[in-house]
Amino acid sequence: MHLLRLYFRLLGAQVRSQLAYPTAFVLDALAAALVTGAEFSAFALVLPRFGGLTGWTLGEVALLYGLAELAFVLMDFLFGGFDAPNLSAHVRTGSFSTFLLRPVPLPVQVFGSDFALRRLTRVALAAGIALYGVSQVDVAWSAGDVLLLAGSVLGMIAFFGGLFVVGGTLTFWTVESVEAMNVMTYGGRTLISYPMSIYAEWLRKTFTYLIPAAFLSYFPVLHLLGRPLPDGLPGWAAYLSPIVGPLMLAAAFAFWRVGVRQYHGTGS
Amino acid sequence: MNAALLRREGGLSLRQYGAAARLSFRRQFAYPAATFWGLLTNLFFGALRVAVLLALFGLKPQVAGFTPADAVTYTGLTQAFLAAFSLFGWYDLMRTVHRGEVVTELLRPHSFLGFWMAQDAGRAAAQFLLRGVTILALYAALWGLNWPEGASGWLLTVLSAGLAWACGFAFRFLVNGAAFWSPDAVGIGRFAWALMGLACGFLMPLAFFPAWFQTLLAWTPFPSMMNSTVEVWLGHVSGAAALRVLGVQAAWTVVLLGLAQFVLARGLRRLEVAGG
Repeated sequence: MHLLRLYFRLLGAQVRSQLAYPTAFVLDALAAALVTGAEFSAFALVLPRFGGLTGWTLGEVALLYGLAELAFVLMDFLFGGFDAPNLSAHVRTGSFSTFLLRPVPLPVQVFGSDFALRRLTRVALAAGIALYGVSQVDVAWSAGDVLLLAGSVLGMIAFFGGLFVVGGTLTFWTVESVEAMNVMTYGGRTLISYPMSIYAEWLRKTFTYLIPAAFLSYFPVLHLLGRPLPDGLPGWAAYLSPIVGPLMLAAAFAFWRVGVRQYHGTGS
Repeated sequence: MNAALLRREGGLSLRQYGAAARLSFRRQFAYPAATFWGLLTNLFFGALRVAVLLALFGLKPQVAGFTPADAVTYTGLTQAFLAAFSLFGWYDLMRTVHRGEVVTELLRPHSFLGFWMAQDAGRAAAQFLLRGVTILALYAALWGLNWPEGASGWLLTVLSAGLAWACGFAFRFLVNGAAFWSPDAVGIGRFAWALMGLACGFLMPLAFFPAWFQTLLAWTPFPSMMNSTVEVWLGHVSGAAALRVLGVQAAWTVVLLGLAQFVLARGLRRLEVAGG
């Protein structure tokens, strides 16, 4: 409880500083929404020209896109401190060493070190896109369906949070190769925003069996729409998101502990 | 201190601008590892965009004048120009204003706008050679590309690409100019880049958009920053029509550069540098 209070005090301090220039904040918040809005509206605006996306309607794609975006932005709120650019700045300037000196658990400090309130507009927009999808798809909603989607979002938050932790940990050793993590984080987010049947076989299989991103939202949405999973996978595979995500996160924090143990500062 | 007093005009020497461009060009080659990983990321996102566009086409041979091969070429071009045109944002000028470093530059005896433009030209040329040409070669190998037709097609394309860079530079310079008025202009920048990404045809070819949206965009300078070059490259406009497109690009470039010069003059008049 004490740690939670500490965490929220860290967030509160950042929120107050971000509201210091209200005009700049409003513009920044609008810009955050426009990034999500522009990408999805570009897709939505051109879809009528083509009719559909290999049998997927706009509503169905909106559901996939909205869920992935919602989970990713919520994850960014929570795990922003671990994001490589943020953490590597702390490592390079030496302020990470002061984290180690304070009598507060290290993860609490990192969790509370980068909270961008402006992303709230993106959460609202992503939720809006997902809700539009929910209203458009032909599904008789049951409590199980709602739980399936909620589990999908929670699994995605843990999964991408884990990727952020891995990327952040890598900055203890190197700054350069961290850019490749973007392929997995932002790339993975973009990849699962569209039905994965549109990708080449090797790409889809890589992101199913090697990096299990397909389990996070693609399989739950397929199951919800009453469509079979690819490769003859059983229906219960759609319910694995709340297991796949936390497993990824646990592995990431094990890696983090190794990284912190060998961290030796930059001397600045 | 009144910064406008510091600014001396004259000394306009082409050699100086050439040197600025050359140094800026060379600087881009300093981080080969970053270039490599950047290329990998670029190619991955490019592959995702190709997959979405080809899936949209399905079995249709042509949509809005685009064949599937045109759409793949479009994706390759936009990914290739991404770094050269700084489509994901550019805050260099903003940073020098916020940090006060702008004063040192104002002491130099040459045009401030011209100096920045020369530097950005060097940066853009190097980024196009490093990343753009490599991306185009990889696209040609992986998916195949349509090329401009004949010597005139190539000439028009090269001219259009140059104008797209110049027009985009003027817009980026204008947006960065907000730093003279706001201590936190990054948000204005983020907003501007998101708008540019949609309106210049980076996210989707503008020809796929509904007619009303295309008409709206035709009144803005954004298509001149990317979409026009794609149309000329693909030969969707040729001959007199292509010259007209280039004319529109040139006109917007002149207008935006004029605006940038005006905003710069106003900004410098109110610039206050607090300490060093």
